[in-house]
Amino acid sequence: MSRLDKYDAIIIGGGHNGLTAAAYLSKAGKKVLVLERRHVLGGAAVTEEVFPGFKFSVCSYVVSLLKANVIRELMLPRFGLEILPLESTFTPLDNDYLFRTSDYDQTYKEIYRHSKKDAENYTRFGPLMGQVGMAVRPILETIAPNAIRPSINDLLSLKSLLGHVKGLNNETFEYLCKLMTMSSADFLDEWFEFEPLKATMSASGIIGTFMGPRSPGSAYVMLHHYMGDIDGSFRAWGFQRGGTGELSMTIARSAKHFGAEILTEASVDKVIVKNGEAVGVALENGNEYKSDIVISGLDPKLTFLKMIDESDLPEDFVRDIKNFRIRGSSGKVNLALDGLPNFTSLPGDGPHLRGAISISPSYDHLERAYDDAKYGNFSKEPYMDIILPSVLDPTMAPPGKHVMSCFVQYAPYNINGGWDDNKREAFGDAVVNTLSRFAPNIKDLILHRQVLTPMDLEKTFGLTEGNIFHGELTLQQLFSFRPAVKWADYTTPIKNYYQCGSGTHPGGGVTGSPGEMAAKKILKIW
Amino acid sequence: MISGKKSSKFTANTQLKISPFFERTSKINMSQEWKRWGGFLASTKYDLHHDNEYFAIRTKAGLLDISPLYKYRIKGKDSKLFLNRLVTRNINICEVGQVMYSSWCDENGKVIDDGTIQRLDKEDFRLTSAEPNLYWLELNSYGMDVDIHDESEMISALALQGPNSRDIINSISSKSINDLKFFRIINTDFNGIEVSISRTGYTGDLGYEIWIKPSDSLKIWDILIKKGKDFGITPAGLNALDISRIEASLILLDVDYISSRHALIEDRKSSPYELGLGWTVKLNSGNFIGYKALKNENKNPSHWRFVGIEILWDDLEKLYKKVGLAPDLPHAAWRDSVPLYYNKSQVGYATSGCWSPILKKYIALAHVNSKYSSLDTILDFEIKVEHYRHLTPAKIVKTPFYNPKRKMSCPD
Amino acid sequence: MVDKKFDYIVIGGGINSLISAALLSKKNKSVLLFESCDQIGGMASLNEFSPGFKCNLIYDYIKWIDDRVIKNLKINKSLLEYIENDIYRISLNSNTNDHIFFNRDNNKTVKSIQSISKSDSEKWIDFTNYISKIASFLKPLYKITPPNIQKMGLGDAMSMKEMIKPMWSHGTRGFVDILRTLPMMMPELLDEWFESKLLRGTISASGIHHLNQGPYSAATVLNFLHHNLYSGSHILDANFIKGGVNNFSKVLKNKAIDNGAVIKINSKVISIDCSDDICHGVTLENGEKFFCNNIISGLDQNNTCIKLLGLENLNPNIRTQLNNIKYRGSTARIHFALKTIPKIKGVNNDQLKTVFSITPSINYLEKAFDEVKYGRFSSSPSIEFCIPSLINSGYAPNGKHVLSASIQYIPYKLKNKEWNKSLKDDIIKNVTNILDQYISNFSDIIIDSSISTPLDFENSLGITEGSFNHGDMTLDQFLFMRPTISSSQYRTHIKNLFICGPSTHPGGGLHGSNAFNMVNEILK
Repeated sequence: MSRLDKYDAIIIGGGHNGLTAAAYLSKAGKKVLVLERRHVLGGAAVTEEVFPGFKFSVCSYVVSLLKANVIRELMLPRFGLEILPLESTFTPLDNDYLFRTSDYDQTYKEIYRHSKKDAENYTRFGPLMGQVGMAVRPILETIAPNAIRPSINDLLSLKSLLGHVKGLNNETFEYLCKLMTMSSADFLDEWFEFEPLKATMSASGIIGTFMGPRSPGSAYVMLHHYMGDIDGSFRAWGFQRGGTGELSMTIARSAKHFGAEILTEASVDKVIVKNGEAVGVALENGNEYKSDIVISGLDPKLTFLKMIDESDLPEDFVRDIKNFRIRGSSGKVNLALDGLPNFTSLPGDGPHLRGAISISPSYDHLERAYDDAKYGNFSKEPYMDIILPSVLDPTMAPPGKHVMSCFVQYAPYNINGGWDDNKREAFGDAVVNTLSRFAPNIKDLILHRQVLTPMDLEKTFGLTEGNIFHGELTLQQLFSFRPAVKWADYTTPIKNYYQCGSGTHPGGGVTGSPGEMAAKKILKIW
Repeated sequence: MISGKKSSKFTANTQLKISPFFERTSKINMSQEWKRWGGFLASTKYDLHHDNEYFAIRTKAGLLDISPLYKYRIKGKDSKLFLNRLVTRNINICEVGQVMYSSWCDENGKVIDDGTIQRLDKEDFRLTSAEPNLYWLELNSYGMDVDIHDESEMISALALQGPNSRDIINSISSKSINDLKFFRIINTDFNGIEVSISRTGYTGDLGYEIWIKPSDSLKIWDILIKKGKDFGITPAGLNALDISRIEASLILLDVDYISSRHALIEDRKSSPYELGLGWTVKLNSGNFIGYKALKNENKNPSHWRFVGIEILWDDLEKLYKKVGLAPDLPHAAWRDSVPLYYNKSQVGYATSGCWSPILKKYIALAHVNSKYSSLDTILDFEIKVEHYRHLTPAKIVKTPFYNPKRKMSCPD
Repeated sequence: MVDKKFDYIVIGGGINSLISAALLSKKNKSVLLFESCDQIGGMASLNEFSPGFKCNLIYDYIKWIDDRVIKNLKINKSLLEYIENDIYRISLNSNTNDHIFFNRDNNKTVKSIQSISKSDSEKWIDFTNYISKIASFLKPLYKITPPNIQKMGLGDAMSMKEMIKPMWSHGTRGFVDILRTLPMMMPELLDEWFESKLLRGTISASGIHHLNQGPYSAATVLNFLHHNLYSGSHILDANFIKGGVNNFSKVLKNKAIDNGAVIKINSKVISIDCSDDICHGVTLENGEKFFCNNIISGLDQNNTCIKLLGLENLNPNIRTQLNNIKYRGSTARIHFALKTIPKIKGVNNDQLKTVFSITPSINYLEKAFDEVKYGRFSSSPSIEFCIPSLINSGYAPNGKHVLSASIQYIPYKLKNKEWNKSLKDDIIKNVTNILDQYISNFSDIIIDSSISTPLDFENSLGITEGSFNHGDMTLDQFLFMRPTISSSQYRTHIKNLFICGPSTHPGGGLHGSNAFNMVNEILK
């Protein structure tokens, strides 16, 4: 390939959003080049054979929010998209357990065992959250208006959003307001009384954030996770056969099908800016590529503070990006196991191993874990969201063996004294010890262990501070403020330079949404 | 799904709940067809066809396991006050030993659920319902001196329905139930086992419901089957019940209406007036939940009426004749929504319907715009004949479709 | 028995109730006000906690008073006067030579900060300007009835046009700044400005003041702005009133009486009488009944609706909303009767007429809050104290003094434990020990002491869960969601029952905006 080739668009970063944008642009007939720093595509959504025979969705491990229209429009099933439902959540407790499935009656009976009122309210809670989720949809699917100087289009979309809000029924509107502002614990306290149920549900309000369940704002993150959309049904979580990396590969195959070029091990050093206009990129190996526009799928800090010289950017914009909160709070522990874990409270194999396993016995458990991190330590007894991909997809591990993926909170990026090998191992030990409290045989089963601290996530995946959402999902970092006011519509202060990562509206998760919306916006103004 | 060994206790490998009678019902369920009812496994039918069970209810006696009903015990000084606030009927006039049917509403006068209230003692009531209501009961009893207890799993229940049901019980019970009037309840015993018997049911026939301690369940079942044999007692499943309740025009939650606590949009909710339950709304009984809204609604006619329709036979027959077939009648009661038209515009929908084997009529229950709801109005009922949609006339008729005198009378 | 039918009956004798009574009677309405205690003032009352020693029950000082109240009721300086000392707050440092002295001359504040952080001192003036700018966007919001978003028509939108005014002077950027900062937590805001632990802690304490949340909780900046709305360049401002805070309520009472309102103390209302969702009067504890066309309640929603209105007048939806209001009192008050004037290390005797705070760092405050999360009270609490006997005479016998401290966090409820005397004594002992580090021989000069926990406040003043704000000042209980989404326009579901207490927008404090907004709404 000649370096003199000129592309219509260059996309920095082969994560799922970058690839999604690439696919949409090539589908529209543009000549697109994707540059990925690593040897694998997918960014945080990758599958790697870390230990011989054991494949891990190293970082991002479940698919929930991938938009149905992206799946259709990019024809992803044709390129290998196969999502297996994760149909249950299992919360082991010291002497008991809580096991929720997608079956109404079974879940009712199980919750009824713990609390009669909760069982009853649970049957109303899900559909209501679905309504709220539906109410939020149009907001998430609107290009965030410029709050400083709204254009006519911005005003029109604001007007239609206001109309949408006014059209909601009272109950939905009330819950929407509450979810935007409350803590997940307070919100759930209004509904339920059985603490393990509340704690497990509230846990989705802390994933990827530096908040505890009692921190205001966590209810929104919970809602964000409630909008999982597989097969059009709200709240469904799934696992891509072959690992999350396979999902990225399907998008990459789609992009290639439409004509995009994808280069791996091509680390971009800088965006070339001439007269305030992006004209191409320079690689670390010295190669340069020219293009009409450049799109960054990286997080806002890298997109602006690394790829661009500060002097090329307006002063208050630089301040906004510097003030953008992007604290990493989570780690990942991947275990290669000799067999299945045996939970004391529900021994043996069973359907509970097919879904998510949540180590969240109480609010206090989660809050203590958060407190550790707040003061600069990893959680001694962390919260964990665990899945056993090999149970759903046996190809992930050698026959009879298993892989276990533990998403762990909290592990602060800025740990007291900095991360080192000892701390990493101590963190891994804390995870295994906490796990063995509920499944004592786990220690004997471990064949290999991979521990990823936020520092590792940053180094490996280029996620600043290891934040999986490219920036926290707090109220002041959403919509028109994501990543910075005036530049929340995928454009940037540099002409022909665009952004499409999770650091833009509507935020993190394997949604494909920022990539899709950025591509559509770009095509509209091209 | 069902497994079992001879002699040992019959168990099912199921995540659903099983009733205390499952030990018996599972063995005689020839069709092994089950439905879910309130999270329980409930027999759809016992024979391979439900006809015999249905006719048992209408001509002999059908025995139905109704344990999945939710049961709440309400005791305490304010229990009457609380129930008066909760339900639309006037509980003040409910005597000890009496049972009342009522619906209860949300603050906008939309029905949440319906069920019966048994007055067991001066300050002791039992409420039965189709859906769990504990949260709602507790929310509305806040600050009152009442003790609300979910006894759903502490009481099992059988319904014995049909013309011979009284004789069967009289042959077992230590007390005669000849004097037990419609919607009354008494305590008695069967061979020394305590039971309560209420003259209530969901079939619109002479019938009783028997309230039992779960541990006594199998004994009571066995006694009834043994003693009832001579009277033609027949275990009956949900299919037979469904036809009976349509003939009796009794509404079913989630089929004929949606609880306002679960309806996600306003249009799905119904007021008692719109469900034909206006007679249960006692506006002079005080400030019950939804009182204000219902008082307003009472002044202005409701938009919807709940009616019975009869699909006219001759026209139906003609439609089938055209394609060379005899009329194809539903084997069991159906529960899909079927559009109803008047002059080609839709004015309502039927929610459940069936062929009535005893009346020899095709009947259905329907929501109809009140403008078109007067008796004898002819509407057009949508029907599919050999894959093609047709409209066939249906007449609004008086309900209940089937209402035998014995339902309410006592022997002389 | 009074046969007369009043235009308005006001329940409660707190600041907002008195303002409502004064404003409405000024409009020639007949007004009757009931206070259950033996003095008016509510949370601005005076209390003798030990023979000869008096204290301000809850508030020692006032942050700000709504200027519309002052103007409309013509409360001139001769009636209500601030005592303005140069130093308005001293943040105590464990190194007693390095306290931060907040001075009305901002240059002196800068100088004082300099000794702990040069870079912080350079940013101080900019910070105060930034906060005043943001506050100027918030001020108009405090003067309106919150809109009903779902039913918002052109009229509501027009009433909000005042909000845009500050944009002319500050540009849209300021508007964006307020949207950005309101939901923040204190450390997020302060990360953008300061490095000194003490300064960060001191400012953050204002963000958690009377709140049951730690500085790491989102929207603590909202609470911070609430307290500093009119601070201008004097961030963390505190205004003492000549004659004590109680004097403000006396002034208001006199205004109301002058305007023709009738005020009855020792009159506990036990029910609001109503039928068909219209109220027509109240019943007192002694059985007396009074009739009126409208009722205004200055009490919190739990008292107004659940206790006085009665359950039969609340539909389940309203009740669910009321049950879900978060009160969560967080603050205890301890009053010490002292033999002599306390000697505070590193502070001159002529600098004592001010507010002292012990808030060493953000983490200190957050750790204090952590304990509440787990159902305990803070073992190292945030403390704010002053010596009211120095500021106004009459609080203590000659030569003796009173030291009043606000302690955070002391929860309403403990986990697996009931409040009892020995726990309360532990708190006093603990606070005494902490004060001993800053005040020479403090424990030796104590004659007597008295503590009120949130539970005590509930019992004595009737405020639910001892919440001074009648509901926590969190983002989900702000503006059109305060106190509940269906009653945020100073109206309740009962047509002629209005609410004016701190439970309404814009929340707690002795500023009177709640009542003023409500009266505007009523007379509209």
